[in-house]
Amino acid sequence: MTQALHHDVAIAGAGIVGASVAWHLAQAGLRVAVIDAVGPAAAASGASDGAVSVASKKPGPLARLASASLLYTRDLAGQGLLAGAFHARPSYVFGQGDAEIAALDALIDKLAQIAGPVRVTGDGGAGALPGLGAAVERLVTLDGEGHMPGHKAVRAYLAAPGITPIWPARIRGLDSDDAGVTIDLGDRRLRAGHLVAALGVSTPALFPALPVQPRAGQLFVTDRGPAGTLPGSLTAAAYLVAKTDAPGVLPLPPVVIDPLTTGQFLIGSSREDHADPTRVDFATMRQLMRRAVDAFPALAERRVIRAFAGIRAAVADSLPIVGPLPGAPRITVATGFEGDGICLSALIGREVARMVQGLAPTDALATDLAALTPARFGAPLQEARA
Amino acid sequence: MTTGTIFWAGQPVPFRVGETVASALMRAGIAAFGTAPTGQARAVFCGIGLCQGCLIRAEGRITEACLLPARDGLRLSPEIGGDDA
Amino acid sequence: MRDTVLVVGAGLAGLSAATELARAGLPVLVVDQAQAVGGAIHRQPLPGVRSIASGAQKRRWAGVMAGVAAQGGRITLALGTRFGGVDHTGAVLLTGAMNRLIRPRALALALGARESVQPRPGWTLPGVETAGSLQTRLKTLAEAPAGRVLLAGSGPLLLALGAELVKLGRPPLAILEAGRPFARPLAALRLPRSYWAEAATYLTRLRLARVPILTGTHLTAIRAEGGALVAEATGGRRLTADHIALHDGIRSNDIGLPDCATLPVVRLGDCREALGARAALADGRAGGAALAARLLGRPEPAPDAELARQRAAQALLAQLYAHDGAARLADLPGDTVICRCEARTVNDLRALGPSPRARQLRLDGRFAMGPCQGRFCGDWVARLAAADNPGPDTPTPGIGAPRWPARPIAVADLLAATDETEGETR
Ligand SMILES: Cc1cc2nc3c(=O)[nH]c(=O)nc-3n(C[C@H](O)[C@H](O)[C@H](O)COP(=O)(O)OP(=O)(O)OC[C@H]3O[C@@H](n4cnc5c(N)ncnc54)[C@H](O)[C@@H]3O)c2cc1C
Ligand SMILES: Cc1cc2nc3c(=O)[nH]c(=O)nc-3n(C[C@H](O)[C@H](O)[C@H](O)COP(=O)(O)OP(=O)(O)OC[C@H]3O[C@@H](n4cnc5c(N)ncnc54)[C@H](O)[C@@H]3O)c2cc1C
Ligand code: FES
Repeated sequence: MTQALHHDVAIAGAGIVGASVAWHLAQAGLRVAVIDAVGPAAAASGASDGAVSVASKKPGPLARLASASLLYTRDLAGQGLLAGAFHARPSYVFGQGDAEIAALDALIDKLAQIAGPVRVTGDGGAGALPGLGAAVERLVTLDGEGHMPGHKAVRAYLAAPGITPIWPARIRGLDSDDAGVTIDLGDRRLRAGHLVAALGVSTPALFPALPVQPRAGQLFVTDRGPAGTLPGSLTAAAYLVAKTDAPGVLPLPPVVIDPLTTGQFLIGSSREDHADPTRVDFATMRQLMRRAVDAFPALAERRVIRAFAGIRAAVADSLPIVGPLPGAPRITVATGFEGDGICLSALIGREVARMVQGLAPTDALATDLAALTPARFGAPLQEARA
Repeated sequence: MTTGTIFWAGQPVPFRVGETVASALMRAGIAAFGTAPTGQARAVFCGIGLCQGCLIRAEGRITEACLLPARDGLRLSPEIGGDDA
Repeated sequence: MRDTVLVVGAGLAGLSAATELARAGLPVLVVDQAQAVGGAIHRQPLPGVRSIASGAQKRRWAGVMAGVAAQGGRITLALGTRFGGVDHTGAVLLTGAMNRLIRPRALALALGARESVQPRPGWTLPGVETAGSLQTRLKTLAEAPAGRVLLAGSGPLLLALGAELVKLGRPPLAILEAGRPFARPLAALRLPRSYWAEAATYLTRLRLARVPILTGTHLTAIRAEGGALVAEATGGRRLTADHIALHDGIRSNDIGLPDCATLPVVRLGDCREALGARAALADGRAGGAALAARLLGRPEPAPDAELARQRAAQALLAQLYAHDGAARLADLPGDTVICRCEARTVNDLRALGPSPRARQLRLDGRFAMGPCQGRFCGDWVARLAAADNPGPDTPTPGIGAPRWPARPIAVADLLAATDETEGETR
């Protein structure tokens, strides 16, 4: 099939991963189109917290990739691209009771092993930070991490020249061959040399063989208070347990309090096996807010003005899926980032852009990136036909 | 008509029983209720608890002055900067 | 609580629905965040204050309250109590005087209307409020504010409010009406008689007090100057006032109320469709009876014909008052605030570029992201965003999409609420 190409590369999905890939390809001089069913940051990337965190990652490939991505995100912020999106700040992890105190010990060990950009700068009691409450028995202070609202990063990436936005346009099917990919948008078809599928939790609609599952998380947003009362995120050690171990019994509610630059607070989050963004409940809200207030009592003065569920794209083996689709070399997938996509987006964007251009991965990361290949689910995997 | 006194930033303001704090303040000629975190003036706009323009601080809570019933001795202050003392 | 039907809103719609539900034998809890019953139109005066309502209004409200009283203990009324929302499990959070987490059998939402006020430079100044806000104080206090009052915008409420000010001995400086409602008297004849009678009373009172009613006149900007408010209007007019009340119509207050699959939820009165008092009364009655029938497995009553009549009358009123005011949005100075909560301006909207999607308007623009949840800016943001990119492919962004919760919830209240959702018995 020889058809004129509309675009060198089409990116399916204008979430933070698709946007980062698009920017990196456009920087390399390729003609890129970004297609989204709704618009930029319409799914998880616009409904999440934005911790760029190494502390919360499972030891192994994920923690190493997160370290590298954190460094790279800082670079991109330093160069100006993500300056308005990424915000460096300390992170605090607190614990109460034996299980959480033990999780904090494990955290300190893990960070020492990684020897990456995140350092433990304090380990003490509630007194280490003004304004903490009785629920903080032990507080570990980390330096080097930051926060990045997903939608701000998406906006920054997509503002680059050379990117054609195509939305609202839902991709109904794909047809790939040796020379490229035909994309069915219902009312029209597009032809691109490559397709990068960054569809988040919607991945199985086009790639039924990829085992991506929805994992919802409720988030609560408060009104504005005086900014700066909490200098960084305050995370319960139970959250690390929830993210890194099999989600079994948690000692206490896994709350994360993230102060926003507006003086608002973002409080999360649960892990639930459904894909309904409107499913929020008072019981979960009370459970998380109670612990949040016990840890940071000034929150009792705030009001919750918005609540919603963001839908993470979870994978059975808890690793993202990144790489060429077996049997369809013109299609590259980048999905399954569960609760880590904001953090990993900068690095994944760079590396997927290299894959698409036929370049080798950045040396030090080759092994860890190889662990993310879709081929681990068997081959060949077929895309949904146009 | 029964009356009582509330305190706005320490100043006594009379009210009638059943009246909201916003109504009492406005009758006393106080239309600006301080400053919002965005820098805008806090003031009554919708009068029925929807617009969130009239927020003030009362007993450690941020609340709509237009919904809050006045109570004798109630101490109120602007959302930011004032103590209710 | 499991047997109780929760009615939110103690206005015409809520209380007439409560009466029908109780009449059918169901226990009803009515909550309202205001300190008095009556809702927008029948807001009751403070204890010991004489009502300024007309004879017809008093009779209508007396009828509603007699209906409630006849049901005795089957209707419980909780004032000063805010409905925070219903979650997907059917749990409802109430805060304020009655601070509880409950699981009602069904939910009737009669939250009334919100006023629509078109953004203008200076509309965020203290002393500038909605016409309904000023009217609520007149009704509760039977007293007009000291100083000069200017009424501006569009719609019959301005005449009603002006007449009430006259009655209280403080006629407004003027009424600036953007439309020309008196320009087509023949068309106006098709309005129901009751509308005529009401309008005639208001106009007579306003004429006797020599209140200028300037039709086809837009209030374009407000400035604070020398402790007063200076209003600029079309036609080169300039008026100095101490209070300015704005009003550009009403919209249903149906925000933050996503549907809930686990319990029957109905919307009633202005909350369902903003059609005014007569429709709210009829809709509350019919909707209450229909909900009762549904809960008790009885045949549903026929819909009330009054609603269709009022819909037609309101449509005609809208035609009579039609004006080009919204077109002025495009000419607003860039620094005009559109979103009051977050102080976001016309320039902030334009900075989003062409054809912003709803998510971009919210996340990048921060429009409709403040605590009023877009009740006062959502419609205008959507119009401005669409007006900047006319074209078949740019649908009006649904910026006021269902949100949750129904209103801001104080964290302290959330935590202090008595949990009655588990293990309760009758
Ligand atoms: C509650 C919560 C908290 C989180 N907190 C953090 C955190 O603190 N730190 C962190 O790093 N990560 C966090 N995450 C995870 C992070 O948000 C995600 O991993 C990341 O946003 C995923 O980005 P994405 O681009 O892969 O997918 P998405 O943002 O989901 O984007 C997918 C896009 O594809 C589009 N699409 C889908 N189907 C089609 C189709 N057929 N055609 C066209 N377009 C289509 C969608 O409209 C959407 O815009 C959190 C997530 C949640 C839910
Ligand atoms: C400010 C204003 C003034 C009006 N004046 C007139 C007039 O003079 N003449 C006329 O014909 N029509 C008027 N209208 C139209 C009027 O809305 C209807 O005629 C009629 O009042 C509608 O009745 P309702 O029962 O549907 O709602 P409403 O009478 O508005 O009652 C709704 C009730 O719900 C309560 N409520 C809202 N949100 C919550 C919550 N989250 N928790 C608890 N309680 C809540 C409110 O406090 C209110 O008491 C006015 C409308 C407004 C907004
Ligand atoms: S004036 Fe609008 S909430 Fe009080």
